[in-house]
Parts: sequence; C-alpha cells; structure tokens
Amino acid sequence: MTTERVDDATTLTDDERRTLAAIADRLIPAAHGMPSAADVVTDERLRFALNARPDLAEPLRQALRPELGPDLQARLDTLGADEPATLYALQLVIVGAYYTDAGVRDGIGYPGQVAITVRSWEYPQYLEDGLIDAVLARGPVWRDPATGTRARTDNAPNTYAERFGGTPPEGDTHGHDRA
Amino acid sequence: MASEPADVLIIGAGASGAVVALRLAEAGFKVTCLEQGEWLNRADYPGNKLDWELKARKDWATSPNIRGLASDYPIVEDDTPVSPLMYNAVGGSTIIFAGAWPRALPSDFRVRSLDGIADDWPIDYFELLPYFYRTDKQFGISGLPGDPAYPPDTEDAPMPPLPIGAAGLKVARGMTKLGWHWWPEFNSINSTNYDGRRPCVQRSTCQSGCNEGAKASTDLTHWPKAIGLGATLITGARVSRIEHNDKALATGATWIDRDGAEHFQPAKVVVLAANAIGTPRLLLLSGLGNSSGLVGKRLMMHPFANVAGLFEEPLMSWAGQFGDLIESLEFYETDEKRGFVRGARWGLAPTGGPINTALPSRAGEQAWGPDHHLHVRSHLGHGANWGLFAEDLPDEANHITLSDTVTDASGIPAPEVHYRMSDNSRRMLDFHIERAKESMDAAGAYKIEVDRLMRYSGWHLLGTARMGDDPKTSVVDRWNRSHDVKNLYVVDGSCFVTSSGVNPTSTIVAIALRAADHMVETRFEQQVPA
Repeated sequence: MTTERVDDATTLTDDERRTLAAIADRLIPAAHGMPSAADVVTDERLRFALNARPDLAEPLRQALRPELGPDLQARLDTLGADEPATLYALQLVIVGAYYTDAGVRDGIGYPGQVAITVRSWEYPQYLEDGLIDAVLARGPVWRDPATGTRARTDNAPNTYAERFGGTPPEGDTHGHDRA
Repeated sequence: MASEPADVLIIGAGASGAVVALRLAEAGFKVTCLEQGEWLNRADYPGNKLDWELKARKDWATSPNIRGLASDYPIVEDDTPVSPLMYNAVGGSTIIFAGAWPRALPSDFRVRSLDGIADDWPIDYFELLPYFYRTDKQFGISGLPGDPAYPPDTEDAPMPPLPIGAAGLKVARGMTKLGWHWWPEFNSINSTNYDGRRPCVQRSTCQSGCNEGAKASTDLTHWPKAIGLGATLITGARVSRIEHNDKALATGATWIDRDGAEHFQPAKVVVLAANAIGTPRLLLLSGLGNSSGLVGKRLMMHPFANVAGLFEEPLMSWAGQFGDLIESLEFYETDEKRGFVRGARWGLAPTGGPINTALPSRAGEQAWGPDHHLHVRSHLGHGANWGLFAEDLPDEANHITLSDTVTDASGIPAPEVHYRMSDNSRRMLDFHIERAKESMDAAGAYKIEVDRLMRYSGWHLLGTARMGDDPKTSVVDRWNRSHDVKNLYVVDGSCFVTSSGVNPTSTIVAIALRAADHMVETRFEQQVPA
C-alpha cells in the first residue's frame, strides 16, 4: 500500500492555485443548484485527495505549469492531445476533491457506500411478482451434451411454488420471522 | 538457506491453492505454501472510507501494472488489447474478485463434440458436480435454487439469494417481457451469517476488498482452517524456479524474500496455483513440463463488453453486491445462425459512485461545464450495467512468453502477454451487445451506452497449461498432474481446456478440490524424489 503522505501537496504557487481554481470552475461550474468546484476544492479537500493519491501530486503540478499559457481551453486541449495521463490526473484530483465533499454529496443525493442490511428472510419481490415462474415455465435452457440440443426435463417444475412448495429460500433468519 | 521439507509445496495462496492446502492438511499432509503477497487486514480496505473511489484507481486497482505494489510483478502488455488482472496476497485474486459464482455448463466440457471446434475436456460437468457442492459450502454461496440454465441440482446453495435491487428488478422485468432467461446471480457472498462471517451490507465495493468479510476470500474461508490443521504459509516469498532432479521429479522451489535473500523449500510434491499468467511463467522459468510445447499457450481471457442502460427513476444502483445482481444465459449456447459458435454470459452489476460517474465514461463520454451536474444527476444511481463475458476459444497464438528486458523487483523475467481477440469472439460480442441493448430497451432505458471491448477486463485467466489425456497435446492430465513431471500439479485456471463463457472461479476451485482428493487417494502410489 502507498503510505507516503503529501501534506505539502497543496503548496502550489499562487499562479498554480489560480490556474487550478480556474480549471475547476471550467470543468465543474456553479449551475443547477450545485456549487463550483473552484469553491469546493479548498486546500483541505485538495489535501484529502492527494493524501489518498500522492501519485497524482506531480502530474497535477505538470498540468498547472505556466508554460501551457493562460488560455484554459487551449491548456486542456493540449493536455488531452499530448499528455492524456496528465489531464486525467488533473480531472481526477478535481473530481475526487469535489465529490468527497459532504455538501456536494448532499446536493446529488448520494449518501456514500453506506451499509444496508440484507433482508434475506423476506420473500423477494421477483418471486411475489411471478417473474421466476415465467422463467421456469419456459423450461430448461441448458444444452445437453448427450443430445446436443436444449435439455428436456419432463418433470421440471413450472412454478417456483411447485419447486419449493411456496416456501421462501432457506436461510438463517437472524431471529426474524419471515414475512 | 534450506527449509524443513514439505510433503506438498503449494505456490500461490489464492483460490485454488487454498482449496488444495485445506484438503491436504485435513488429510494429514505436511503442507507449505509460498505466497509472494502478504496477509491483509480488512479494516484497511478502502470500501467503507471516503477516499474509496480514489484509492480504487491506484492501490486497489485490479491491474498489477497500475498498483505496482511490492507484492506485484509487472506484466508486459504491449501486444494485447486486454490487460490481465489479479491480486497478490493471501487470498490471491479472491481479495478483489467480484464474487460471482456461476458454474461452467455441461456443454462447456464438450466443445469439440458439440460444435466441431477447439477440444473436449477429459472430464465433464457431472463428474465435477459433487465438488461444486463441496466448494459451494466451503466458500459460502448465496443463490436461488432451480435455475433452468443448469441441470437440476440435488443440493441447494447454502444461503438464500442476495437481493437483486431496484436495478435488477427493472431489468428482470424487461427480460420477462422478451421471454428471455434471467436468474438471480449465485454469489460467493454471504446473505446471512455463515461460517463465522457476516452478511453482505451492499456497499458494492467488492473489488476493493470486502470490509465485512462477507465475500468469500480464501484468507478468511480457507487459510485459517488450513493453518489450524498444521499448514505453513510463508508470505513475501516470490518463487523464481521449481527445481528438479535427474529423474525428472520436482524437488522443491527456490524463492526470494523481500530483502533479496534466496531460499530453497524442499518438497515431495509441488502444486502450482499461481494463475494462468504466473503458473506458465514459473514453468517456463524452470524449463519444466513442456514436452507438448503448450506451456503458456492457449491463453484465454474472456473478451468483455459493457452495455449500460440509464433509467429515469432512481435505482440507487451504487449499492448492491458487485458480484452481480442477476444473470442471463439466454444466448449462452451455440446457434450457428448467429454467425459464430458458443456464447456469452451476461451479469448485471451496480454502477459505481459519483467519481466514477463524473469522470469520462468507459465509452469515452465526457461531460464538463454546466451540463456536468445534469450528467451526474442523470447517471448516478440511475444505471444498470450488463457485463457480457464472451467465451474465448483456445488459440496457440495467444500466449505468454518471458520478457528479455523487463524483470520484477526480484530480478525475475516478467511475463509478456501476446493476445488477440478472435473474429468469432468479435462477432459473438457484437451479437450479444445488440441483444443486451434490446434488453435495456425492453426494461425502459431512455439511453443505452456501450463499451465494445474493455481493456481492464482480463479477470479470467485461463488455459496456459491445459488438461488432457494425450501428453502430446496437453500439459497436465485429468487429475491436474504434469505429464512430464509426475510429482508436479497445476490446479489453477491454467488447466482449462476451453474457457466456458462464465466467471471461472467456481469451476477452478471444484477442479482443484477434485485434484486434491485424488492426491489423497493416490498418496501411496505418488512418485516422490528420494
């Protein structure tokens, strides 16, 4: 695992910081009720992104180098054409810093990869709705090597209830009653 | 420096190596395993942390070339459109695999007989069935019994199915309209408490390691038990050579530790379980087992396309097991009217978080400027992805060689991958892409996006030391034993004769367990070095 920390990664020059803010605003401007990345990608957020990805610090600086000139679109076009990995690093830093901000996540209705209890004791909707019965009713799908053709099973169940007597799949209920 | 001799030396602590280690340790063998990676602590996995999507693209990338960790070795990929993916640690690639657990189908073992191409396997589905049942229990499988895409089972999956989510239900309704097969996916992911491990919490970060320990990885499911029975697992141990004597019997392996010191591990029997890149690399490095000339050849990787549907209503599709929500085998079997032979499995997966959504898509679509926000809102949690795994037919031109110029950190030549997708596979993927688009359309998708061949999709590494009865045309026999070296076994996906069109881990470990059973049964006839 990468363990190097880059707490000084935000030590960009004023020019580099201004260029980053301008690009961030170009890529993700304030619109449709969402804030500009220029406002969200603070030093704190930048530090967070680069601590997660210290390998991006150097290509970020490359993307912000003054030699690429003041025209933002020309800079992005040049990077896209000649240094796609540098452009990707720039985009990833901005996007990574922006979408790990709590306010931005609220704005897009994304709670994060939160834990959700699997309710395996409940009867699945697809069984309730007969979707599995429709699959079973069409019979076997597999090709029988003995005949070379789609398998035929005379006594195949036509419905899930026929296969399982209407009971839900077996499993530990964690003490919950099956619905 | 030599070590205590082992009855059996296993190289690689991933899926197949762990299965063999546990079985042999249960039978009283003195087992030693050499693993170039380390033990991982699942508290360190990034899936439950804010920086998950950032780390998933580097330290937790599925490509060792992107990760570049000390446990990884480089793979020269200049001559392949598909990058091999793997993980090097205790647990191997089960640490980062999705956990989808379909079995190979009966027809997969009879491709020559049924379709007049490639080869038949020396074993068949029904012979493997008891091993599938045993490994299903070992790994802990969740699934809905009764899938008509397979012969009827006599044993059900040990746990009920995981939920298919709103996205799975949406697409399942579309499949029902079309009259096409679909089924809730079988996953090696707990849906309940099982074997001391907790149930899945639907984070969908399976490919960055499972924080819950709900997904089966052999560092959890096998190694603690094997070690408890006396097996020895040495980590940070990169094998450079399998050694042999003048009677063409393996005598053990030379390995290099992280400090560069060389060691020798003597053994009566050597088992290779290093995946279909690492295993032929070691055989070629050792100059062993290759009288057929097929070591490293017939590499198969399942060319993979992605068809994403976007839906107006929120599906919360950033959540759910990444191992697949549902699958379809509707077009799995050959229909020559389609212009190709064999087929592909479809697996419906969640779609990732906001960083994945915001960055340019797999299909190259970018959305910047004011519309960026509309793009993210319309994509995040509104998608469903069909992953299409095309059966890859064996071709000797698709092969592994040893690099003349690139070495790993231990100075061992890196493997070079030479691979082309066949015309049959291209036609197959094109056909399946069109059908998958129809499926998304039937499900009500307002927009469908296609990635016709993903570069970072070489999850399924197969075929580079194929199994067979004839030593002239195969590397190992039907019991996974080298034709040339009578105490050398290959138990990983290298032994596959054809690739099937399904995720292979379930089949790999069933074959490995069968091989281990045979080692136990024939222990007194086994030739060993003096």
